[in-house]
Amino acid sequence: MKMADGPVILRRNRPGTKAKDFCRWPDEAFEEMDSTLAVQQYIQQLIRRDPANIDLILKMPDAQDEGVWKYEHLRQFCMELNGLAVRLQNECHPETCIQMTATEQWIFLCAAHKTPKECPAIDYTRHTLDGAACLLNSNKYFPSRVSIKESSVAKLGSVCRRVYRIFSHAYFHHRSIFDEFENETYLCRRFTQFVTKYNLMSKDNLIVPIWEDESTPGESEA
Amino acid sequence: MNFNEARKREKQPLTSRRIFLCSNMDANGNGKCPLFKLNDFFKKQRQDSDSCYPDSPDLEFVYDDTDAHPNELAELYSYTEQTELQLNVKAFEDQMEEYSLPPSWQRLSVIQRKSVVMKLLDQLEISSKPVRMRAARCILYIAQGCWAEMQSDAEQQEWTRMNVMLLYDMGVFTAFTDLLNIEIENSAAAHVAMRKIAVSLADSQDLRVILSVLYTITEVLRHEKTLESTDYKTQVDAFSNEIAVSLEEEHLVVKLLGMVTRFCSGAAPHFPMKKVLLLLWKLILVSLGGMNTLKILKEQKRQKAGVPPQDEDTLDVAKTMRASSPPASASDLLEAQNQKRNSRPFRRSLIKQSSLDDHDSLGMELDSGMGPDNGDDIVDEYDDRRPTDLSENQMYANYQYRPSSPVPVPLPAPRGLPWKPKVRQKDIDFFLENARMKFVGYNIQGDHKSLAGLPQPIHEGVKTLNEHMYISLSELQIQAEEAIARNPLSNNEQEIEITPVELLYQALLPNLPQYMIALLKILLAAAPTSKAKTDSINIMADVLPEEMPMTVLQSMKLGIDVNRHKEIIVKAVSAILLLLLKHFKLNHIYQFEFMSQHLVFANCIPLVLKFFNQNIMVYVGAKNMIPILDFPSCVIGDQPELTAQSLEIGDAAPYSWRNVFSCINLLRILNKLTKWKHSRIMMLVVFKSAPILKRTLKVRHAMTQLYVLKLLKMQTKYLGRQWRKSNMKTISAIYSKVRHRLNDDWAFGNDLDARPWDFQAEECALRASVDRFNNRRYTTNLKHPTAKWLNRLAKLSGLPPFELSTLCASVPGFNYLGEVARIRFITWIYTGGI
Repeated sequence: MKMADGPVILRRNRPGTKAKDFCRWPDEAFEEMDSTLAVQQYIQQLIRRDPANIDLILKMPDAQDEGVWKYEHLRQFCMELNGLAVRLQNECHPETCIQMTATEQWIFLCAAHKTPKECPAIDYTRHTLDGAACLLNSNKYFPSRVSIKESSVAKLGSVCRRVYRIFSHAYFHHRSIFDEFENETYLCRRFTQFVTKYNLMSKDNLIVPIWEDESTPGESEA
Repeated sequence: MNFNEARKREKQPLTSRRIFLCSNMDANGNGKCPLFKLNDFFKKQRQDSDSCYPDSPDLEFVYDDTDAHPNELAELYSYTEQTELQLNVKAFEDQMEEYSLPPSWQRLSVIQRKSVVMKLLDQLEISSKPVRMRAARCILYIAQGCWAEMQSDAEQQEWTRMNVMLLYDMGVFTAFTDLLNIEIENSAAAHVAMRKIAVSLADSQDLRVILSVLYTITEVLRHEKTLESTDYKTQVDAFSNEIAVSLEEEHLVVKLLGMVTRFCSGAAPHFPMKKVLLLLWKLILVSLGGMNTLKILKEQKRQKAGVPPQDEDTLDVAKTMRASSPPASASDLLEAQNQKRNSRPFRRSLIKQSSLDDHDSLGMELDSGMGPDNGDDIVDEYDDRRPTDLSENQMYANYQYRPSSPVPVPLPAPRGLPWKPKVRQKDIDFFLENARMKFVGYNIQGDHKSLAGLPQPIHEGVKTLNEHMYISLSELQIQAEEAIARNPLSNNEQEIEITPVELLYQALLPNLPQYMIALLKILLAAAPTSKAKTDSINIMADVLPEEMPMTVLQSMKLGIDVNRHKEIIVKAVSAILLLLLKHFKLNHIYQFEFMSQHLVFANCIPLVLKFFNQNIMVYVGAKNMIPILDFPSCVIGDQPELTAQSLEIGDAAPYSWRNVFSCINLLRILNKLTKWKHSRIMMLVVFKSAPILKRTLKVRHAMTQLYVLKLLKMQTKYLGRQWRKSNMKTISAIYSKVRHRLNDDWAFGNDLDARPWDFQAEECALRASVDRFNNRRYTTNLKHPTAKWLNRLAKLSGLPPFELSTLCASVPGFNYLGEVARIRFITWIYTGGI
């Protein structure tokens, strides 16, 4: 708080920052962000301001490289999804959810292993998020956050596909956790809109019915 | 040609043909030889083999990295797999019905297609195998260009291209590598296959689908890379990069080579080797590059090293050369002798041939030094009289004014030799040393320049030699290595450039010997001359159907299919080995030496010779293909009924592209292994390669002949006077076709005594240098001998040495321990200390 008052604004969470003061610094215009992590900073700023305003969050600033934009969003999704994973831990046990399923029809393999195999749902969640973090931070595919190779952008699709299953498992098997989390963060809605907008997943695979729910959060916001 | 002769010519291929077929059937592992009533088949083969005898014109074969793109795609599938193609359409139709879309790929919009692929990708990660494999088949059908909807081959090809790009963009290749991993680890399938007496197509169904998709994507992108302009440059670049830049374990090439070794160990008899090898070859080709890349890389490397570029590219020069007429066969010699006997009955004697000699020539030869009609002998005498160390000009002049030899087909017009002669620094030093000893009386070690006290002609000689000196990259690399070995502190290791080849070498290094043995084992099993043995590996698993054929026609088809299958395997293995050798040689000579030494230890030299010890003309002219059954012809348009006649529709080539290609590759491998290696050249002599190679000269193709002649040249001086005398035509061909080395007395070498006969020592010294190189560059930084010990322990435990050394280094005080204490400490860790 003190730092924000000073003439030079340092946007840092120093050790000892109180929870209520966390990330409490004034907004900055995207054009004025001059760090290499400007895109991430901008996205996080928009989310903090109003997580429900998905259209605004996903609206790409002019002259922004689309690859980087997609990449940074996906990074953000994975980071926030860890929040869901933490909540799931209390309820989703390897003994109860022995497989990664959404609707009962299909069981998914955990692709994080050298040889993909069936993992319990919570392990799938952890492995997939770790795997995604590894991939998105890998020097080989994403050596820079300023420009991203066309070939690496193609990798984002598979991350989306795998990560989405966490949402669908939570929705179909741990509805209360999912709703609680979703009402706070609007993450699944944002994710769905994101993958649809950039055509990263097929609509038919987006099985969590959020489009019907649209009206409810919309009202509560207003 | 008289009747007898004609019959004789027919007979030879006929019998050998029969042997091939029977041995194939034995190798199947089912032990029974199907009923063969193959009169028709033999008739066909006979016609074929007739056309490629000496009086035929040169083969118009153009050597390249690969065959034409459609052929490369068609060779992926066996004819027995044809029925499975229908399963792919079925999978596609079912899947489309599930998505409530029309079962027509063409009618879908681009967005719909993308959505379909994304849904299929999702399905590939489902744990239920049938569902997963249905999606895989569906993707295969899309990659195959949705042939059921296509009217022509060209249309199908265009759609293959478009679809493959779409699939690649969507990440299908990576998804299928994951699938491949699952299938490799599928121990259930391996157990089922191992219990079976005869492994068949059915055992490898899923693997073949996965490999086919991977291969199709790879081959289409490889083809795209060779085009001058392409719309898909980003995809091509991304793909080459993706394959090339991956680390040890996850390198797809390593994974596939691992499959080959596992197959050879008998742990996975169901692995479809042909597809694995084809994919392996194409991946190496895409990631490391082919002939052109090699040429450019060499140019760049020479420039960087500060040596003048090499202006003659072997392959380019060889392309412009003309084939020489092959040495006479036994029947021709007899005939010639008969004629001569009539004209000059008295001037003849029988000469005992050395055991090395060609059996074809039957030991009957004319005496030397005879009438003017015997051109060969004139050349012989002439060459004998020549001084041994000619300067280039003299030699050139000699060549120009050589008496014309009465060969039936004239040699290329005497516009000069195809090659500029070369000489090595070593040879110049040797020359200088001799001259100094003679004129000055003592030698100055390590002085390449000073000519003090030497007469004028020697000055001139040295000048000419220096003009033709060629410094190879390998020599420079060896010098650098020696310098580091001598003064390890003052000569630091230059930074290792991380190239795709370097990464591949590092990935292959731990198991390279096993990979080489496995590849050679497969080459042996696929060689047409190999006899079926019970213990040999069975490479037919991915061609034999579950039910053995019942009709004559079906057995004919299977016979051709089996032979084709073997030929394709030979083609792939030979291409893989050659590519790796070439790239390693350019990257670092000791990487090349490491690989080649392991090839030699695994008996590569006799194996290749054994391969050529067959009726090479039959092999080159073999027609093991049924064009109407090739993919995609077999599924597009009206299908004519398969009859004995229709088997031959559409094959017009007078030679088999893949067989000539494999022959050249194998000859080049042999050349690479033996060049400048005295001990290995002696292997050529000991294994009696001369007659085998001489027979290979019958193939009327300049490049093939060139590589054969090179192999003959290096061993000529060990073959004895008799051999030279009776093979003057071959020797002339060597003179006119192979590059001359100044000062090299290759044909009449008298320095035999000076040569060390301890061949073991030569290999051992090389091995020591290679090991030093590998240890220094690729193992831990800890000093000798701890490093050695670490390596051994690491091998025993399966932990990489660097992990061990970091572990050790983290122990306080470790660095202060003495050598012995360190070793004890490490051993203690390994025996359960931690």
